[in-house]
Amino acid sequence: MAVLNRMEWYDLARSTNWTPSYVTEDELFPPKLSGEFGLPLTAWEDYDEPYKQTYPEYVKVQRDKDAGAYSVKAALERSRIFENSDPGWKSVMKAHYGAIARGEYAAASAEARMMRFSKAPGMRNMATLGCLDEIRHGQMQLYFPHEHVSKDRQMDWAFKAYDTNEWAMIAARHFFDDIMVRDAISISIMLTFSFETGFTNMQFLGLAADAAEAGDHTFANLISSIQTDESRHAQIGGPALKVLIENGHKAEAQKRGDIAVWRAWKLFSVLTGPIMDYYTPLEHRKQSFKEFMEEWIVAQFERALTDMGLDLPWYWDIFLKDIAETHHGMHLGSYFWRPTLWWNPAAGVTPDERAWLEEKYPGWNDTWGQCWDVFIDNVVDGNMAMTYPETLPYVCNMCQLPIIGTPGKGWNVKDHPLEYQGRLYHFGSEVDRWVFEQDPARYAGHLSIVDRFLAGMIQPMDLGGALKYMDLAPGEIGDDAHNYAWAEVYRALRATRKAS
Amino acid sequence: MALFPLTSNFEGDFVLQLVAVDSDDTMDEVAAAAAVHSVGRRVKARPGCVMRVRRQGAEAFLPRTMKVSESGLKPTETIEIIWEAGPH
Repeated sequence: MAVLNRMEWYDLARSTNWTPSYVTEDELFPPKLSGEFGLPLTAWEDYDEPYKQTYPEYVKVQRDKDAGAYSVKAALERSRIFENSDPGWKSVMKAHYGAIARGEYAAASAEARMMRFSKAPGMRNMATLGCLDEIRHGQMQLYFPHEHVSKDRQMDWAFKAYDTNEWAMIAARHFFDDIMVRDAISISIMLTFSFETGFTNMQFLGLAADAAEAGDHTFANLISSIQTDESRHAQIGGPALKVLIENGHKAEAQKRGDIAVWRAWKLFSVLTGPIMDYYTPLEHRKQSFKEFMEEWIVAQFERALTDMGLDLPWYWDIFLKDIAETHHGMHLGSYFWRPTLWWNPAAGVTPDERAWLEEKYPGWNDTWGQCWDVFIDNVVDGNMAMTYPETLPYVCNMCQLPIIGTPGKGWNVKDHPLEYQGRLYHFGSEVDRWVFEQDPARYAGHLSIVDRFLAGMIQPMDLGGALKYMDLAPGEIGDDAHNYAWAEVYRALRATRKAS
Repeated sequence: MALFPLTSNFEGDFVLQLVAVDSDDTMDEVAAAAAVHSVGRRVKARPGCVMRVRRQGAEAFLPRTMKVSESGLKPTETIEIIWEAGPH
């Protein structure tokens, strides 16, 4: 039997919609799950996805791509790249897999919600393929690290992290639940358009470049392959925005985008910022985190927003300032509280690395450098007790990350509090507080790790109790990636100064 | 006498931290409790300076001998600990 050319049937197939007769439209597409925009099925039939693909094409392309990634892995399995790579690079992998692998799997359920409940047939088709993508990404990013579990217990967190109350995971879950557990249309705007178009390029393409530089071709190949899928299913949200804007719902669309972009930024400031500017060995760094943000987010995403007919988020000036600052604090915070990580953070503050930081971020030595000076002196003096915390950082009731600012001579740390129904909430920025204010009932009941501590849920109320609560077992608890070997150069400098 | 949590925003440091004090503690004692988590860890000590406490955003410091219970501070409220040049 002759097979029709794809273009002869595709448009008909992708625009085929239900005409309910036994149930009402609202019963078939409950507004809570399909979007409370009051738009009928016919309005959604104008949804026109820019990237068109059929199921047979998907299977063929993905099979070839997966085969490529798996064969690189198989070919390099005996190469001892993992054993021989810089400990900072191993930490990159551990942080990435733990934070991302199961999140991809969770995203399959968000795609499934669009697949079932979107009124736009084109979106349902795209989301079907997107759902398959996320299942594959979850499986691949669990399978690839699995070969390292027997060599390094922290690699087990690729699977384990999502089930724990480790603080960074609480932050990741809070964010992902917020953008994935909504109606189909909001998910398309918040997960695919805002998060995936805006930010996954940075994690996946930026890291792929660094991985290739570090000689980890398995990881580089895996995540660049994943990103090509992300780039496709990230386009689910764009046409939905177009339908909303054309039907007078720009304000609702704008708000959803603004919330998701800010929340994604905060998560990436702790996940990707330290990796790019501190963990990746200096000689392998392609761009600073700020440069990458400027290229991929500021230049490209700004254009995507305006092309779509949206305005820049109201907080854009705050965001542009923060991309040169926030991640330095996130790094210092995660490093200082390093026993609470499932990876070993690299300090990244040798004199050469500091010179690079100063060049990329003028004023670094007078600000974050001042805090690191005290830390480094303690390491050099062997005063290790003072290099660890004895209390909790106060975390934001929105992003669940430490409330930080610029230290030293540029000290600008500030709480953004809000009293709501008798409870005092703390936020890391004006924007985090604004997100809360958009839907207080959605967020008010959540307890941050500090709230849980104060409520007596973490026992005993000390570091040991906190580590137990976070499910960090011995052998998993984070410490300096290089066992403080980087401090030797400071010891030598001090000895030279003394001698002269 | 009751345990009282405050949020410390210590001048020169980069992060807000939870500090447990007692409702009978004076502001000098609160500053000292906050300093434990910042000074010598990420902030250099400033000999000759006095650490003063104020509400976030306030110009005026709270009196050094004022007790937490007299200050009107709410549990977990953020206080700023500021270095004040000492008498010469």
